[in-house]
Amino acid sequence: MSDVAELPMAAERVTLSREERDALCDTVRRVFADHATEGDVRRVMDSDTGHDAVLWRALADVGVTGLLVDPAHGGSGLGPIELELVMEEAGAVIAPVPLISSAMAAVLLDGAYAERLAAGDLIAAVIFLDDYDWTGRGSARVVDDMASGVARFVPDAVVADVFVLTGSNGVWVVPRDAVTVTPLPTFDRTRRMGDVTLAGAATRIGTGAETQHAFDIGIVALAGEQAGGARRMLNMSTDYARERHQFGRAIGSFQAVKHMAADLLLEAESATSAARDAARQLAEDSVGKGGAGKDAALALAAFACADANLRCAKDGIQMHGGIAFTWDHPAHLYLRRARSGVQLLGDSSHWRERYIQALEAAQREAAV
Amino acid sequence: MSDTTEATPDTAALQAEVEAWLAAHWHGAPAREESFGRDPRAAWLAEVRDAGWAVPRWDAEWYGRGLDDAGARVVERAFAAAGAPGAGQDRSNLWANTALAHATDAFRRVIVPQLLAGEVGMCLLYSEPGAGSDLAAIRTRADRVEGGWRVTGQKVWTSGAHIADYGMLIARTDWDVPKHRGISFFFLPMQQPGVDVRPLRQITDESHFNEVFITDAFIPEDNLLGPLNGGWGVLQTALAYERSVMGDMARGARSGAKGARGDYALLELAQEAGQIDDPVVRQDVAQVIAWRVLNKLNTQRAKAELQQGTSSSIMSLGKLAMSRILHEEGRVRTSLLGPESLLEGPDHPRAEDANFLSLNAYFTSIGGGTDQIQRNIIGERVLGLPKEPEVDRTVPFRDVRSG
Repeated sequence: MSDVAELPMAAERVTLSREERDALCDTVRRVFADHATEGDVRRVMDSDTGHDAVLWRALADVGVTGLLVDPAHGGSGLGPIELELVMEEAGAVIAPVPLISSAMAAVLLDGAYAERLAAGDLIAAVIFLDDYDWTGRGSARVVDDMASGVARFVPDAVVADVFVLTGSNGVWVVPRDAVTVTPLPTFDRTRRMGDVTLAGAATRIGTGAETQHAFDIGIVALAGEQAGGARRMLNMSTDYARERHQFGRAIGSFQAVKHMAADLLLEAESATSAARDAARQLAEDSVGKGGAGKDAALALAAFACADANLRCAKDGIQMHGGIAFTWDHPAHLYLRRARSGVQLLGDSSHWRERYIQALEAAQREAAV
Repeated sequence: MSDTTEATPDTAALQAEVEAWLAAHWHGAPAREESFGRDPRAAWLAEVRDAGWAVPRWDAEWYGRGLDDAGARVVERAFAAAGAPGAGQDRSNLWANTALAHATDAFRRVIVPQLLAGEVGMCLLYSEPGAGSDLAAIRTRADRVEGGWRVTGQKVWTSGAHIADYGMLIARTDWDVPKHRGISFFFLPMQQPGVDVRPLRQITDESHFNEVFITDAFIPEDNLLGPLNGGWGVLQTALAYERSVMGDMARGARSGAKGARGDYALLELAQEAGQIDDPVVRQDVAQVIAWRVLNKLNTQRAKAELQQGTSSSIMSLGKLAMSRILHEEGRVRTSLLGPESLLEGPDHPRAEDANFLSLNAYFTSIGGGTDQIQRNIIGERVLGLPKEPEVDRTVPFRDVRSG
């Protein structure tokens, strides 16, 4: 576990009341309603970058890009709990903007970088080094502040202004013009990735003690997105089951369909619970109150939310029938996003293994 | 989950009061002795009741203190900290809650205090051989006579019937209206000649339930709950209540012990069985424990949201979630043991646990409404999906074809 006392965000943590959190969610929901309609998402999906600059600016204007950034650098100084709530809203609309990358970068960057990140003027992609490389495929490394090798499947690499390399032994920044980005033909066109070839100097900005926290922030953000996506597919599917009539009655009155919906509600509720609990545990960990429970809660959220989102997307399409097999119906966008989420930051089998490791660690702690 | 309730001067004073009372009155659990249906702790429970701690959310007129939820939880926590039973019955006592809400005033004046002290034994007389999932199809009849009703019929899946003083009974009081509209809800006195209780042997080889044969048994006038022929509504509140606590009641081992090992029990079994290094086993064990933890998190969130005054859909899911957990845990335990699971008896406690769990999982997935009925309820009442057409819903019950 990282020495979180060193983190810049820990000092200036701002806490919100429940009413303030509701207001934050309302604000974000309004921005998405205005700028992340299905039409917007489809337009951005077909663009070269897959990035919605208009939506990103709108989110910056309401403070979302600076959510985790210290107030001293123009951010809101909020934490994992608020991040998770915002990501539920983002997942519900498949917002094609670099929210997860930015959240991870926000706890790594300082000074002018942090200010530009908060202002929405800087997009930062995060490259995890050594044991943190969740792809298991990369060769990126930094030796004597010289970066080399290739980082694989880097989210938002195509639109990044700067790359943050973070691992066990340090955190470095590399500007866009010092790397070669190879865009990848991603199956989920709303979450673009690139391979990044490194060759040159990297500016050291941290010890590496922050890396675990950045990874954890990524897990919480992704879990929130997945909980939001699961809920949206459930709602879309039950709405349709109420409206669609066959054999003279709404298909939702058939138990075969109704029972699928009930099972998906359990999945969506469980995802919400897991994501919010992980956020809370991480928030307590950041102020030194967490402990053994944090690793378990994050691992649980990592696979429970991924699996729930995938199940809701898959079974949601099945509940719709033929209409959701068409490109023009939005359901497949959610399935694509769910499938990319299952891989991002490690797949569900990996996280189930990490979960049982955390349980074993807690068991050992309880024994002594 | 951390408790977000903030201490106020009021709750601090209340906490001091209940702690002082416990310090003066609670001297540890009374010795458990065999007692016919009545709670062996009755004397203690009566003290708790009379002090107003049993049902603090209720009015003083009804042994309560008119506390809000935050205050009532202060009381419950103080009792839990002292290990003293009897608090929180305004949330947990099915019988007392039902009686208070629906009984005639004359009857509830007598029965509610007895129920709060565990002085009377209770059982449920709902299901019949021909009315399981379709509970409104009951054929047990209650006919009007001088001073009350005469009841004849057969009930099943009744636990504690042989030691009960009263049964909460649904019986048909009007045969000429559709099935839901001719049912009434009663407290049937069990200790009378017309009530014959016979044990039912379960697939686990236990006998926790009975069949109850009722022949011309008498119910006094005052023991009707809710309006005559309005029993279906009373039943709905009682059933919802029962289901909400059922997720927590589910037993793992035959001993019923979940104990301190709690979530780690399955992990420990995998370790004992020498299989914890098998990657497939690790995935299975992690998934089952995850479902258990998720169910707890869901319940916590539901309670927190209820306290915030927003409606929550999660409580109805707990029982469904628990069915999946128990059946899957039975499968994983069995596979961990391999051929050892072929055995039973006291010399093979691990096999006994795995086999018992594999069978008793049906207690949760069938009892209190099958998983399929729960999915109907969730689909219709939570997700707002339309009901399946019911061919007998508007037909006078007398004309309904029975199976």
